[in-house]
Amino acid sequence: MITASPTAPARERAMPGWLRRVATPKTLIIVVVAGLIGYLALVPLYYLIWGTFFDANGFTMGGFARAYGDPRVGGMIGNSLWFAIGAAVLSLAVGTALAYLNVRTDVPFKGLFFAASIIPLIIPGILYTIAWIFLASPDIGLLNKVIEPIFGPGFFDVFTVWGMVWVEGLHLSPIVFLLMVAAFRSMDPSLEESALMSGASRWQVFRRVTMPLTRPAIVAAVLIMVVRSLESFEVPALLGLQNGIYVFTSRIYFVLRTYPPDLAAAGALAVGLLVLAVIGVAISNLVGRSSKNYQTVTGKGFRPRPMELGKWRPVMGGAIVVYFFLTVVGPLLVLLYTSLLKFYQAPSTEAFASMSLDNYSELFHISAATTALKNSLLLGVGSATLVMALMAVGAWMVVRSRIPGRQLVDYFSFTPLVVPGLVLGLALSFVYLRSPVPIYGTIFILLIAYCTRYMPYGMRYAVTSMHQISSELEESAQVSGASWWQTFRRVLLPLLSPGLLAGWIYILVVSFRELSSSILLYSPGNEVLSILIFEQYENGQFTVLAALGVVMVLTLAVLVVIAYKLGAKVGLRQD
Amino acid sequence: MNTAPPLLARRAGGPAKRAVATGSALVLLLAGCGGSPTATAPQATTAGGPTAAEKLYAEVNGMTGQQRRDKLVPLAEKEGTLDLYTSMTSDVVDVVIKAFEDQYNVTVNLYRAGSETVLQRVVQEQKAHYQGNDVVETNATELFDLNTEGVLATYDGERRRMVPEAGRQEGWTATRFNLFAPSWNTKLVTPEQAPKTWEDLADPKWDGKLSMELSDSDWYLTLYGYWKKQGKTDDEINKIFEGMAKGAKVVKGHTVQGQLLSAGQFAVAASNYSYIVGQAKAKGAPVDYLPYVEPVIARPNGIGLMKTAKHPAAAMLFTDWLLQEGQALLVKQGLTPAIVEGDDPLKDVEIIPIDVEELTKNGDEWNKRYDQVISNGEQVDGN
Repeated sequence: MITASPTAPARERAMPGWLRRVATPKTLIIVVVAGLIGYLALVPLYYLIWGTFFDANGFTMGGFARAYGDPRVGGMIGNSLWFAIGAAVLSLAVGTALAYLNVRTDVPFKGLFFAASIIPLIIPGILYTIAWIFLASPDIGLLNKVIEPIFGPGFFDVFTVWGMVWVEGLHLSPIVFLLMVAAFRSMDPSLEESALMSGASRWQVFRRVTMPLTRPAIVAAVLIMVVRSLESFEVPALLGLQNGIYVFTSRIYFVLRTYPPDLAAAGALAVGLLVLAVIGVAISNLVGRSSKNYQTVTGKGFRPRPMELGKWRPVMGGAIVVYFFLTVVGPLLVLLYTSLLKFYQAPSTEAFASMSLDNYSELFHISAATTALKNSLLLGVGSATLVMALMAVGAWMVVRSRIPGRQLVDYFSFTPLVVPGLVLGLALSFVYLRSPVPIYGTIFILLIAYCTRYMPYGMRYAVTSMHQISSELEESAQVSGASWWQTFRRVLLPLLSPGLLAGWIYILVVSFRELSSSILLYSPGNEVLSILIFEQYENGQFTVLAALGVVMVLTLAVLVVIAYKLGAKVGLRQD
Repeated sequence: MNTAPPLLARRAGGPAKRAVATGSALVLLLAGCGGSPTATAPQATTAGGPTAAEKLYAEVNGMTGQQRRDKLVPLAEKEGTLDLYTSMTSDVVDVVIKAFEDQYNVTVNLYRAGSETVLQRVVQEQKAHYQGNDVVETNATELFDLNTEGVLATYDGERRRMVPEAGRQEGWTATRFNLFAPSWNTKLVTPEQAPKTWEDLADPKWDGKLSMELSDSDWYLTLYGYWKKQGKTDDEINKIFEGMAKGAKVVKGHTVQGQLLSAGQFAVAASNYSYIVGQAKAKGAPVDYLPYVEPVIARPNGIGLMKTAKHPAAAMLFTDWLLQEGQALLVKQGLTPAIVEGDDPLKDVEIIPIDVEELTKNGDEWNKRYDQVISNGEQVDGN
């Protein structure tokens, strides 16, 4: 809600007055942010839509026929939905449970959470998936070998839709964890306490009070998860294809592989996702906007206090240790183990005898390694900061302002999620090859690509936090004479910081893995880490790749720890 | 306060909305100035007559031996730089570039990506009249497409004439071959059990133990054509591929295929590159591809000069060098060179090149058919 700002008196008649009103910091910032969001989103969208509906002869729907005309399309959509919804539900359950236990209870081993929640996100998808093949393949899986005496051979089978759901769900759960941690941090525990006092059980409180209050975050998480899983490539390609399980992205891969790439068919598939996404954003806004129900950060002072688990404490502690071993220690040990070998083989005395650090020393001999690390850091920090700064203002426009057309900002910021990475790369190179400003061939084109790709996530994190902050806080600041900018900087930003920080960390981490548009847009001297990973992969150096994965996990884990330590000083503190 | 917000909000909204509109207008303007962003019609980059680079190529194409080098080296060193786009794997290309830079005073700027991406990059840049690269080294299929786009110049010389005929194409010249051959895990397959012919792969004993790669339709179409020439009927050929696909484990990517083969996830890989399996074998992994199942299917990789090269002499020097000194380097890296001098380790092996012409003409059709073969082994229409 906007209140009268002292810098904008209502003078309607003369030009100077009009100019003065327009030139306030508030309108300037809004104009710039809306312009940037629109620009970033529309470049690839325009390219995609044009490519989908127009060919040399004008308007066409041929792309749709080619994309959806496959006789197996029914089964494919079925598999895709099963996989996407399954992975979304799993990651939602796991991420929410972990976040709740971490923020709101006195559960033991909180230190493990951090690792358990971030590391699956850091490990590149291809490594995480292959690590799971080595763990749970019915033929060579180590887990299967361990339990074979009890359950018989091939108990776990990772090459099924359930296996795909498992791997993807665990890999995506950090996104949910980060979103939900921010939501729980900003929640007034007095609501739960009153419910407890009135005789509700802990489960009832969780179901009837806690969950409804975080509904905007849950809706945002579901939305991102479903679209992400529908687009996921590594897991379906490595796990699904072995047994002929085809999903949407296998189609996108096929139509983009030919030359000239069938942009129309790829676009038609992306438009299908776009429709889903737009419906999702609309629902998310309906849910979030309907009332003040979710505004848990109000003028009343509160300090989130952990809930005592009582006799459940050791049980939960045990569950966390098990989860930690399953999602982090298992895959990471496989990577570490592989990185010390000359080639992958099942553990044996022979294998252990052949171990060496050769793969790590090889890493240091890759000429571009330091440049790539530097560039990835620069781009990761740069795009995360830019996106979260833009989206903080963007979220204010969407949630708080009454600007007509504000919903467009929300939709625009979400559309890059459905644009395939290669199409984004093509769109950007198309525009900047023709731009008079020399951006093509520099690192800035990568920065633009990353900002575009991660805008949707940034927006979801920012909007979710914004929903929780009561407008009365802004109103009181403005009543006390603060300008819009002062209010934004001194009141809103600190309150938003848990959400902004979570988004920042997410973008930093995933930007290290971005390949599909980087590979087309980088230029000599601007290599990034994901390109090195791709090269080692192409070289067939899987063991070096595993070493690179281990190094990446360590680097990013340190960065994330620093970010959290710094962030804790700004945002709401816990006891 | 209850009445004020709408009025103020409307005012604040004006500029914001305009900003959104300006943003879109800017995009349309930027995108519009190049015409349709996805138009595929090749744009002539050299509308009027040969480019400066082409004139140099034409002059040097007629020269031979030391005279040719003597002409190119000073010019190339004066240019000082070479912009190379390639899909050669980084371990190989790093060695190649280092040797070239050691020999000549030319700095190489390298862009490396998968062959499809290299193609996209060159086409995007050429359409925008952006001189990104001087020379391109990549897969045959992509070079064919680039030549169709009309961006590759004519290259000739004594070294080119030593390349086998399949590697002397309009606009590009083969530099090396990737060999497709079946490979197997030696812990799971004894030398007696190992496949001896391509037809052996269809044997039901491999059901559930054979792996096929998702995108090897060029291998498929070449083997198909070979069998056709041998007098097999479409029905017979389809039956063999169906037999292979029955129970096959489909994998995306030759590297992953190699890894999973040495880990024992499957016993036999139908169409991996011999050099990937060779590398793993050299490190002691329990895999092998020898003796070769014949005919070995060879996919040429080649090099082409850009018509719009900024450094044409360096581009030509590098091409000459790669076909001469570079060939021995490629052999050392475990690759199969285009020009064989001295002892040929593949002397008695029957090698057939990928049918690139058929691939470029009807690639889509073959993609679809291969896709169908591996997805469920269902009946493929014979034609």
